Amino acid sequence: MDSQNYKEKRTQEVTQLGSEHTEYKYEYDPTLLETFENVHPQMDYWVTLNADEFSSLCPKTNQPDFGTLIINYIPNIKMVESKSLKLYLFSFLNSGEFHEDVVNKIGKDLVALMEPKYLEVIGLFYPRGNISIHPAFFYSNEEPKYKEIQKYRFLNRNLNPQRIG
Amino acid sequence: MQLAKVAIHTKSTLEYLSRELIFLAQSGQPYRGTIYVHFQSCGETFNLLDFKKYITSLRDKTFNAEDIAYEIFNVISQSIQTEDLGVKVDLTARGGIQQRISYGSDFPVIEKENIFQVR
Repeated sequence: MDSQNYKEKRTQEVTQLGSEHTEYKYEYDPTLLETFENVHPQMDYWVTLNADEFSSLCPKTNQPDFGTLIINYIPNIKMVESKSLKLYLFSFLNSGEFHEDVVNKIGKDLVALMEPKYLEVIGLFYPRGNISIHPAFFYSNEEPKYKEIQKYRFLNRNLNPQRIG
Repeated sequence: MQLAKVAIHTKSTLEYLSRELIFLAQSGQPYRGTIYVHFQSCGETFNLLDFKKYITSLRDKTFNAEDIAYEIFNVISQSIQTEDLGVKVDLTARGGIQQRISYGSDFPVIEKENIFQVR
């Protein structure tokens, strides 16, 4: 694909990136997520997305919760566009969710969106009442190679959260 | 917002830090930041629960980023008597640019690690 075609393809794929009038939503909205095509699907490679500014509300007390989300995945055909991911994560701002539910919800939304080869979401939430909660979501498609990765990552979760500093 | 007063000894140097500031930029984009407050007591400080509620209340308020330290300074100075009150706010980067906004007396910011948090 020449650079002109590549540019046109990328421009058509995503609508929010580069938009001069970004609308921010503060209630959970998975329709904000957009994808672009992976042009290297024959390769296995990691994509890490660190989201340091995640915040939602406790569904019981309405107290704000804060945390870092780490999303690692091996793309298949579709990849999540990072601005749409930012807007999607901001949409949790006034949503009441437990930490464990947030991480699973985001993991499931991203799996439904991209159908990746492998995906994990790790939530490192700030402590409340001296306890910090770090849930982790793991998914792989049906290929044994990625099932093996899922099993390994599940068993070794605390050894390396794969944060890129 | 008025913060309730709590009587304490005079001349204590008090520092407060919160990494849990959120407010909205004019564009609607949430801004994240860390607040540092520093002063010498004149016999009173503010109720911490009130201060937490105040910080939380900024979550759906819109400010110019440059005005956020003044806003917090103003609420504290209207609620309690202090000496050498200073407020600093470190905002996370937007468009590759980080901002630190200060209002009032200058003071060295000392980061206190949150031992529970993986950074």
